[in-house]
Amino acid sequence: MIKRFESPIQPIQGMKIKKILFVTGSAFLFAIVFVIDAILKNIEGGLDGVLYVRILLAAAAFVLLYFYVDMKVKESDRSQVQRIGAVAVWAGILIGAYIIVSILPLNWFESRDLQLYPRDYLTILFSTVLSVVSGLAAIVTLCHVQDMLFYKRTRGTKRNFVLLLIVMFGAAVSTYNLRPLDSSVVTTILFTLSIVLIIINSFRLSWIAYLSRREKIYAMLYALLAFFGFMAINIILSEKSSLAKALLYFNYPLYMFVQLAALFGSVYFGMAFISTLFHLPTAAAFDRKQNEVSSLHNLSRLITQVFDFNDLAKTVTKMTLEVCEASSAWLEVLPADGKLYDHKLDGIISQHNIEPEDVEQILFGGEHTVRSLVLSSKKILLIENVKSDRRTSYMSKVKNVGTLLVVPLISHDELIGILYATKEIDHGFEEDDVNIVSGFADHVTIALENAKLFKKSLEKERLQRELLIAQEMQKRLIPQTLPLFASVDMKAISAPALEVGGDYYDIVMLDDYRIGIVIGDVSGKGVGAAFYMAEVKGIFQSLSKIYSSPKQFLVKANEALISSIDKRSFISLIYAILDTRTGELILSRAGHCPMLYISSDKKEYVKPTGMGLGLRAGTLFEETIEERHIRMKKGDVCVFYTDGVTESRSSAGEEFGYERLLELVSRHRSRTSDEIKEEIIQGVWNYTDEHGYDDDLTVFVLKWQGAA
Amino acid sequence: MSDFKVSFRENSTVHIMDLKGYLDAHTTPHLEEAFQKLITEKKYNILVNCKDLSYISSAGLGVFMAFIEDVRMNKGDIKLSNMSPKVFNIFDLLGFPMLYEIFKDESEAVKKFEAKS
Repeated sequence: MIKRFESPIQPIQGMKIKKILFVTGSAFLFAIVFVIDAILKNIEGGLDGVLYVRILLAAAAFVLLYFYVDMKVKESDRSQVQRIGAVAVWAGILIGAYIIVSILPLNWFESRDLQLYPRDYLTILFSTVLSVVSGLAAIVTLCHVQDMLFYKRTRGTKRNFVLLLIVMFGAAVSTYNLRPLDSSVVTTILFTLSIVLIIINSFRLSWIAYLSRREKIYAMLYALLAFFGFMAINIILSEKSSLAKALLYFNYPLYMFVQLAALFGSVYFGMAFISTLFHLPTAAAFDRKQNEVSSLHNLSRLITQVFDFNDLAKTVTKMTLEVCEASSAWLEVLPADGKLYDHKLDGIISQHNIEPEDVEQILFGGEHTVRSLVLSSKKILLIENVKSDRRTSYMSKVKNVGTLLVVPLISHDELIGILYATKEIDHGFEEDDVNIVSGFADHVTIALENAKLFKKSLEKERLQRELLIAQEMQKRLIPQTLPLFASVDMKAISAPALEVGGDYYDIVMLDDYRIGIVIGDVSGKGVGAAFYMAEVKGIFQSLSKIYSSPKQFLVKANEALISSIDKRSFISLIYAILDTRTGELILSRAGHCPMLYISSDKKEYVKPTGMGLGLRAGTLFEETIEERHIRMKKGDVCVFYTDGVTESRSSAGEEFGYERLLELVSRHRSRTSDEIKEEIIQGVWNYTDEHGYDDDLTVFVLKWQGAA
Repeated sequence: MSDFKVSFRENSTVHIMDLKGYLDAHTTPHLEEAFQKLITEKKYNILVNCKDLSYISSAGLGVFMAFIEDVRMNKGDIKLSNMSPKVFNIFDLLGFPMLYEIFKDESEAVKKFEAKS
């Protein structure tokens, strides 16, 4: 049952006060009525006016009681079956009260002229108590029955019920001026009309259909009890017994009302009993359908809520057990792309009620197993009798499996898993079960696919984050600022094509006046290149301080790299040493793009020979390396760059090339290094279309300002 | 733009690969497969004709490095020929002429192979 929502304290207190008011109010009114009756007993002939007041007072008391009961009934969160039970209990209470009162030695009434005269005060007291209890029982019954009638109500439901209440009240009110033992035509007509309406209302039994089998049995039992209870009350009240007289004496309308309510109760619960009885044979089927619907519903909810693959698999097998009442079930997830698991049982997840050995036997026990059959046919396989079917003859060791159902899970024509369910008896699965499970399998497939996709996207997100971290770290591997000299104006920029790249530049102070400048490019792009780039940084920072000539440095760097680098990767590098006092530049090249040198009288690419790092070891490498010396003059510009600059392509597919770079730099040679760098970047940017720039790109501009 | 194709020819001693198009990080697997194919067939005298090769990236160059050791250990060689000046420049920058024999024309390379065997 649903746990009731805890409402704030304030309204509950308000409700409590109201309830107390209702109960004490009605008790007070009943007490007044009793006092009036006691006084009237001594007045011969009675007082007509007072009689009406008394009826009104009693009516008001019952109205207050009604409010109280209505609140109680609405508060209690009872099921339909519990409601019938509650009504039956009230009928029982009433009968109990009748029995107790009837065995008491009371003197009861004297009847004259269709009028009742109590013989003593005790009779008045018991009449009052009995009437109050009867009225209360009638009210409780009507409140509960109203709720049951309104279950899944149609348009006419409320109208019919309200009509019944009106006619019932009409019948009751029509007796207001009757003497207790009198009757009238109007009352009889309204009474008959009430019976018709009672029968009409008693057909509203839609709640029965939605009960489970177990609930139906209880409902039947309670309905039968209630039926007999109300019948008994009817019989007791219709015989002009002392008990009936007690009510009649107290209040004729009340007597009428209680009688009609009891009649309603007996007809309604009689009908309920019969109807439930007829529903019973189909109850099991209804339960199954109900189960199926709720399972599918739960599953579709799961699809959107559970993203943990294993959790989902567990729920799926558990639901399979529920849906077709299987005795065991398990799920096999097939690896993607036809790969194999390390162990053949690795794909089996969430077994329920079955031993792994049995699963292994069923799946891999023979050459042609049910598994291989489904793998090739991709169709549902139902073995009705495992013991005698030749397709499962290999399963003789497996106990407790009479029927076996194998359902392929297919997504986009691809088999992603297999769902297995067994039953101990043979012919255990009906056609219905197979249909349910196959429908179920479609949902399972979607759910599993979703879980997979979700996992994938999580993974992707994680990688993306890692890459961003790598990017941050790589940014720190290149100099944040370049050292400042009056004689040299330097600026550099590096931009990877992907998150991280293989381009590298760095600068190091060799001593107080000499600086080492390096620019390099690792073959390939992305993370692989970035790792080598980091390694080069380490090598540069340590070796540049030890080896004072560019050639020596490159030879030693090659030695350090060759052992760790993959044979299809290599690194191109230019290493230059600049004397900031004299403007002397010594450079060596290892497979890298030549340095662009723009002077007042010369525009050229300086390209000493030299093989890339990591291609060849030892002297084979060393022999290829040349060293060049350049004595710079004031205003000379050197540009180091990576092939991202020269190999950028225009939309026509043409490369930016060396000519264009040379022309561009010589045009801007009089400007600052920062401006020249910007011109190069802008030039490449303007030249390429959006797809043309797909390599790492680095530019290092050095301008000699003249010796200080 | 990133179309790349490898086709095979052979004469008595030399297995010739004709490369066509744009060889970059996306297309290198094709070249790798091609080399792998020849090597699993124990064809070690390999001549790569670069006549229609319009571009080669560092990843493309790496493929040659990946197989050269294996080929030379089996007394074969990878030779290259018919490069456009632009493609030659890329090979040259990295120092490939010091690692591989590069010929102006295919026939010279074939002769060299034949002379050896």
